[in-house]
Amino acid sequence: MGDRPAWQPVDLIVIAMARLLRDGELVFHGVNSILPMVAVALARRHHAPRLRAINIAGGLNPVPRYLPRSTTDAELTYGSPAVLSNEEIYDLCMRGGLDTVFLGAAQVDEAGRTNVSRIGPADRPKVKLPGGGGAAAMMPTAGRVIVSRAEHSRRSFVERLDVVTGAGNVDRVVTSRCVFRRVDGRLQVESVHPTSSPEEVVEQTGFVLDQREPWPQTEPPTEAELEALAAVDPERVRDLERR
Amino acid sequence: MPFLPVAGFQGSDLPEALGWKTVHDPYGGDEVYAVPRLQPDWAVIHVPEADAEGNARIYGTPFWDRLMTRGARRVIVTAESIVTREHLAAQPELTAIPELFVAAVVHAPGGAWPGSCFPLYEVDYAAAEAYATMPLDADALTRHLAETAARDRGEAARMESGV
Repeated sequence: MGDRPAWQPVDLIVIAMARLLRDGELVFHGVNSILPMVAVALARRHHAPRLRAINIAGGLNPVPRYLPRSTTDAELTYGSPAVLSNEEIYDLCMRGGLDTVFLGAAQVDEAGRTNVSRIGPADRPKVKLPGGGGAAAMMPTAGRVIVSRAEHSRRSFVERLDVVTGAGNVDRVVTSRCVFRRVDGRLQVESVHPTSSPEEVVEQTGFVLDQREPWPQTEPPTEAELEALAAVDPERVRDLERR
Repeated sequence: MPFLPVAGFQGSDLPEALGWKTVHDPYGGDEVYAVPRLQPDWAVIHVPEADAEGNARIYGTPFWDRLMTRGARRVIVTAESIVTREHLAAQPELTAIPELFVAAVVHAPGGAWPGSCFPLYEVDYAAAEAYATMPLDADALTRHLAETAARDRGEAARMESGV
């Protein structure tokens, strides 16, 4: 009531991801990928009706009745004319058939490489992460990779990865504070969200950023984007993403 | 096959950590990683329907299940229902696992719990969360196993009564 904001920070993360998707391309997301799942649904509804989408549940252009809490849920095959097995999806990526792949990361370095394997030293890991067959196989072979990492802190944007799980065709990294674009092999800030500030991005990033040019602000959500987002994710499954 | 050439993995620490070697494409292409064979002794695969010989259907997404039944030395199929051979023979192309690979079949209704078995039941998120957050001590484990066993007996009773 009254002062309730028109949108939440997570809404802009999803919208920034969706804006990167182009009509007609083939996009893929894997397990534990709530934000990519919502971004794909949003893009298809808002500006890319002919976006072709595959997910790790095997769905091809699915029409899910609701967005599930797990992105491996069979609901992501509902309305799909075919179901792809995991080996078919990997084969497709390895022969250059996936235009855009969404991947997550526990750590990201300035080259846009990611760690989803382990935090801490090999002989005494602090955290063993679920692992990254997807990242290692897909990052060099996908047309381009969009990494999403909601938590943007020095813990996750680091000078040195504990493990290099994946390296390759990272194009953008979308966080709770900004959008990075990879230019000449280095992440550069493309825009800073209105919910953050350039000072905060510098403070919360563990590697040195090029600040010769001022960073523009990320376009706030438009009314049409917010309407489309409300339509595809009325239950706000996107709020389950950990930050 | 002792190995399979794969694309990708360049720039990753994983191949070295896993001891993978590379091979030259004999037809003049790039050098690629040769992934060594993985051959588990057993694969245990839960399915919605199998017959008594082990022919099994998987509805929805097969994920890696088909591949695992081909990779393992021996396979145990656990099934929500045991169906007739005629049921499977009506559409044999839906059989994901042929009896050839299967060493044993177990009738295990609810066997994927707290996971899901499409299209019969979804993930039991509350139970999965309770399992993931339970204290790491013997009492908690004993209690968890007792609750799981009681649940399994309930499933069995429900089936016998035909409900």
